[in-house]
Amino acid sequence: MTDVWRLQVRNGEDSRNMNNKRFVLRSLIHHWRINLTVALGVAAATAVLTGALLIGDSMRGSLKSLTLGRLGLIDEIMVTPHFFREQLVDELEASDAFQADRYQRATAAILFPQGTLEHSSTDDVNTDLNVASNILVLGVNEQFWSFGQTERLQSIQPAEDEIILNQPLAKELQVSVGDTITLRLPEDKQVNADSPLGSQDDRIRSIPRLTVSAIIPAEDLGRFSLASSQQVPLNAYVNLTFLQDELDQEGKANAILVSGGDIDNPPGTDASAILQSSLQPTIDDLGLLLTDVTLDWEAEDQGNSVVLNYHSLSSVKMMLDDTTVSLANTALGDNAQPVLTYLANAMMKVPDDQSPSFEGGIVERKREPDTYGEIVPYSMITATDSKPGLGPLLDANGEPVLINDNEVVINSWLANDLELSLGDFLRIDYFEPETTHGQTVERWIDLKVVEIFDITEPQRPYGRRRKALYDQPPTLLNDPDLTPEVPGVTDQDSINDWDLPFATVNRIRGQDDDYWNNHRTTPKAFVSLNLGKKLWGSRFGNHTTVRIPFSDSELVADKLQEAVSNSNESFGMTFIPIKRDGLRAASGSTPFDGLFLGLSLFVIASALMLIVVLFKLGIQQRASQLGVLLALGLRRKQISRLLIYEATVVSSIGAALGVVVGIGYGKLMLVGLSTWWVDAIVTSFLSFHITFRSLLIGYLLGVLISAGTIVWAIRKTSRLTARRLLSGRTEDQTLPAGSPLKRRRINVAVTLFVMGMTLAVVAAIPDLGTSLGSEGQAGAFVGAGFLVLTALLLRIRSLLRGGWNAHSIQRIHMPLSWLASRNAGRNPGRSTLTIGLMAMASFLIVAMGAFKLTPSESGRGGFTYWGLSSMPIYENLAQHDLHDRVFEKEIVDQLSTETILCLRFKPGDDASCSNVYQAARPRVLGVPQSFVSHFDEAETPFTWGANSADDEKAANPWHLLSSSALTHSGSAKDPVPVVIDKNTAMYSLKLYGGIGQVFDVTYEDGHTVHFKVVGLLANSILQGSLLVSEQDFKQLFPHISGYRFLLATEQQAEGTLRSILENRFRDQGLDMQSTQTLLMELLAVQNTYISAFQSLGALGLLLGTFGLATVQLRSILERRGELALMKATGFSPARLAKMVLCENIVLLSTGLVTGVLSALFAVLPHIIFAAASPPGIELFVMLIVILIVGVGSGLLAVRVTLQAPLIPALRGE
Amino acid sequence: MAQLVLNDLKKEYPTRSEPLEILKGIDLELNSGDNLAVIGPSGSGKSTLLNVLGTLDHPTGGTYTLNEVDPFTLAEDKLAAFRNSNIGFIFQEHHLLPQLSVLENILIPTMANGKPTADDVARAATLMERVGLANRAHHRPSELSGGERERVAVARALICTPALILADEPTGNLDRKNAQQIGELLLEIQQAEEMILVVVTHSNELANMLGRKLEINDGCLATPGA
Repeated sequence: MTDVWRLQVRNGEDSRNMNNKRFVLRSLIHHWRINLTVALGVAAATAVLTGALLIGDSMRGSLKSLTLGRLGLIDEIMVTPHFFREQLVDELEASDAFQADRYQRATAAILFPQGTLEHSSTDDVNTDLNVASNILVLGVNEQFWSFGQTERLQSIQPAEDEIILNQPLAKELQVSVGDTITLRLPEDKQVNADSPLGSQDDRIRSIPRLTVSAIIPAEDLGRFSLASSQQVPLNAYVNLTFLQDELDQEGKANAILVSGGDIDNPPGTDASAILQSSLQPTIDDLGLLLTDVTLDWEAEDQGNSVVLNYHSLSSVKMMLDDTTVSLANTALGDNAQPVLTYLANAMMKVPDDQSPSFEGGIVERKREPDTYGEIVPYSMITATDSKPGLGPLLDANGEPVLINDNEVVINSWLANDLELSLGDFLRIDYFEPETTHGQTVERWIDLKVVEIFDITEPQRPYGRRRKALYDQPPTLLNDPDLTPEVPGVTDQDSINDWDLPFATVNRIRGQDDDYWNNHRTTPKAFVSLNLGKKLWGSRFGNHTTVRIPFSDSELVADKLQEAVSNSNESFGMTFIPIKRDGLRAASGSTPFDGLFLGLSLFVIASALMLIVVLFKLGIQQRASQLGVLLALGLRRKQISRLLIYEATVVSSIGAALGVVVGIGYGKLMLVGLSTWWVDAIVTSFLSFHITFRSLLIGYLLGVLISAGTIVWAIRKTSRLTARRLLSGRTEDQTLPAGSPLKRRRINVAVTLFVMGMTLAVVAAIPDLGTSLGSEGQAGAFVGAGFLVLTALLLRIRSLLRGGWNAHSIQRIHMPLSWLASRNAGRNPGRSTLTIGLMAMASFLIVAMGAFKLTPSESGRGGFTYWGLSSMPIYENLAQHDLHDRVFEKEIVDQLSTETILCLRFKPGDDASCSNVYQAARPRVLGVPQSFVSHFDEAETPFTWGANSADDEKAANPWHLLSSSALTHSGSAKDPVPVVIDKNTAMYSLKLYGGIGQVFDVTYEDGHTVHFKVVGLLANSILQGSLLVSEQDFKQLFPHISGYRFLLATEQQAEGTLRSILENRFRDQGLDMQSTQTLLMELLAVQNTYISAFQSLGALGLLLGTFGLATVQLRSILERRGELALMKATGFSPARLAKMVLCENIVLLSTGLVTGVLSALFAVLPHIIFAAASPPGIELFVMLIVILIVGVGSGLLAVRVTLQAPLIPALRGE
Repeated sequence: MAQLVLNDLKKEYPTRSEPLEILKGIDLELNSGDNLAVIGPSGSGKSTLLNVLGTLDHPTGGTYTLNEVDPFTLAEDKLAAFRNSNIGFIFQEHHLLPQLSVLENILIPTMANGKPTADDVARAATLMERVGLANRAHHRPSELSGGERERVAVARALICTPALILADEPTGNLDRKNAQQIGELLLEIQQAEEMILVVVTHSNELANMLGRKLEINDGCLATPGA
């Protein structure tokens, strides 16, 4: 305290110096009552601030604990779509990353995120079947458990035929230890089920009679999950070796878990990069096969002669992806020869009476020999560009024979069989390389025969494990290895034994069997690689093998290995820093401290207004004292400084108290989030976390804003003259009508109102609002409400200050309410603040209430059920003509009136507002054309928040995802159009750019996809997913086949459709749920936040009521003389009480009406432009409750009025 | 014809030892047009007498009738109504409502049982004319001088045409000139309206202006110097 003010105080003989400190101390003590109330106001504001910060701490801390709990010591994880050698883990542990102590341990595992478990229990009467789908199945060894933190789990490893379940899964299945259950897993097939050559059956591997050996709590590794979510996963653990045996993958795994050893601090990005580079998969680990192909024959007089000698690179998945082919080209230069061999369903000579067509068409009926003569069924046809040395088509000079895209070269066997000559046309029937809606489409094409190459018949045909033997020199065309190995086909003795996924409609003749015996999969015809890719290339790849001229096998393997190592491609073998990602996601999709600060904004504002009211009351009490100080010659600044010192002390004490209360408030809010508001976070997982930083920030903010508020109040008081202060009048003076100051204030109010309405409109218009971001939009809305509210309060204050119509008394009808209104104008500032306190609370409750959502039919898109299966369903059930293949006849009839839409599903993070973690890789839904077309005539389409549809597509914006459009690569220049729910875009993915915004997602295998927002849905059941066209989906995720996400409408008896679908697709683990329930759960999040906001508004109301009561009591004390006089002039006690109560109601109702009006003004644009609904009747009920509570506080004032002694008051005592 | 009659009126207050007698048996009769000044030293019971006369305080003995009605037999609401229509008060502290205009302040008593009628407003206008505030009808109390405020208080006391006007030190806060004017005004109106006027005052000047002057001493009323 630098400025020391000295005043000689003489009190009898006691004379001593008084300085500022002593003066402030004395004032604090003397005015302790009012100072205490101000300090309590400060404590309220600080408590709310601190509590909000602690909620943020708790949310982050709890999410972090959950992350660390579910991952234990696991820092990095790699999950691949194919199996690799378990030995790779040992090699990794011997690598640089481990030698440098960045990582300590690694273990192999088999992970299936989409398993299904069944448990049937039978009693005397019934058999109950419980199915749990979409469970995470882990094949683990003993070492896995050592990654956890619970010692008890480390001796829990399941034996063969045993399974461990976590508690939620056991509960869902209703099983106990010792029960037996059946596990169903997706079968890893060579050929994708969406390929006509891939079987759609037998894709589920069932492992029956597993005994539940233990049920572990859903904590630690019992909660292990690949995805960041606060929801408890359903996990099952089986023995790794046992699972390998069951899946015929001995010594193989599809996942590696790596630990750095420090549970809290995962290794950084540098370490991750070293780990990734330390992983040295062989080409075998990448699912590639490098085989040597040789064909030689021994001439009687010439000795052994080599005809074919090359290396063949193929994939266990039959098709080679372009990345692998490109890698082979890089490794081996021009020597590599890509080959695509495909199955021709039938080949025939184009009859002379038919014109050949290079365009071809769809095969509409079975080919009849009467029309075509001989028909060669089920033959291989190879597309490649011949190369010197490799052939297979070389002229007499050894030069490659090049084929145009409308030409075909055939072997001599085919030419003879079909009596084809050069210049004839060959018709080839083939399946389109991808099925449509799970159904094969057969096409044909005519090609001109330009060359006939000889093929040599062997002396001895092929045997089961024996090659053909030639006594004549074979040709380069005698090469069955042009066709990759296809189990069930290439390994069969007879063509009749082929295990094909489709029915063989074309007759297999004797000569066809002979050809198979002599030549196996040797192609009968050749086309250009370009044509082959055009006809048979697909998302699964454009090649089946790459032929490499013979060299040292090891050298070729090394070159390929080197190319793999040097490549930026990970081939799906990418480590994900799962703990680092998890901890990052634990910062939450929503900054909860900010959210609760926002939610508490009005409580804080109410507390500040209360502080102003209370502090000003204190000043008014001491007005004459301040006047004396001024009269004694102290400067205004000195007096202000003294008051500020005093206010700072009061604020500091109040804030310290507030921090303590704030801890309790934070805990209370947490209890709220775990109980009343649990729907906001879906499940109760929060524990209380406290940081010194939050307490300090809360304290400092509390002191700052409270002291600032008080300084503002002092600043106004310090302008008063000594005369006014001495007379005890600190209130504003009445302004005459038409005064410049009054006009200026009206102008300010009008300006604020216009600004508020503009801001409200901006926040409400979908595109503009979205561009502000979730917080921005909420801020704009609250800001708009605040501006409108301020404008109205200014106007009210202006009215109170300006007085009422001077002649109004001649027209009054209700003298008591007239008097009450006039009494409100006695102290305009105080009345305005009181009205403001009430208005704040009512604004909050009404405005927020308008944003409460009720499940709408459009939010469900008219669907009754949604479903998610563990394993794909390959038939698109939207096609009623496919129902015959899937359902029994009786069921087909039942389903004839139902709509069942199937969507493709890429698993990923739940990006709906149900997930409080930040979604890094949101799940993706592929929208087929049947889904798009459904909404051409749908009675209840989804509601669009915004979309980029032109006039043509405006009626059904889903056409933006039409599959007939071109596919998109997902590059930055060619982003994939995506539709997202608006809430997902704004709150989870933080996409504020609205329509047209491009964003990218990097998937588990390391590839990054760019998406462009073309549509935003409003409050739909499709929250949490990215919706893209089926074409784009297949392009982006070529290895995902079939449909897993279903939407269905039910016309028949409730539950029938659900039962039909769940029964039929039980093995696929289909679980159908009500869309109504889903939508309610999703909307519950927003609604619960609103409820929380309203509850906090009620807290503000409590403060407001407290303020109202304080103001009333103070007002009555000030006016006790006037009230006594009124009593003396004949006002009965009852009438006086009515008048006081009326005053209370006037302030209260003006506050409520002001708040409601502000809310309506702020909400109106949202009702017009967006999804907000007009406030319902329940809000008005709530306002009436507020009124009753307020009147209750007014009754206190009435009581004081009635008890006030009359005569002393009249005498001014 | 209004008449105020007091017979052996007593007022005592309970204390810890024995009741404190303030009024020890007051006998008084006043008729319409009478005016009376009550003087006496501080603590003699002047204000107590005024409060009992104004029915603000109940006597502990004796009888009190105004226009042949004993107001202390009335229920509280009825008593308030009785006071409103029969008694007008003028206090040293005028207790004007600062947020109301002069006119509105004058009309306050008319709102005790209803709303002001056109007649009330007209009477208020007349009264303002008579007290010299005709041009101040829409002014706030804060815009008036002390004398003017007292005039408003006078007009307010007269608005319901009471039978009895009680004034407690009406000129206590005024200078001599203003005090003189207020005293004359009070008498003029009282005479004109034939009311009973009782003034409690320390001021001999004011007391001398009234037709009758009594001194209260030791709880009894007597002629000064008697």
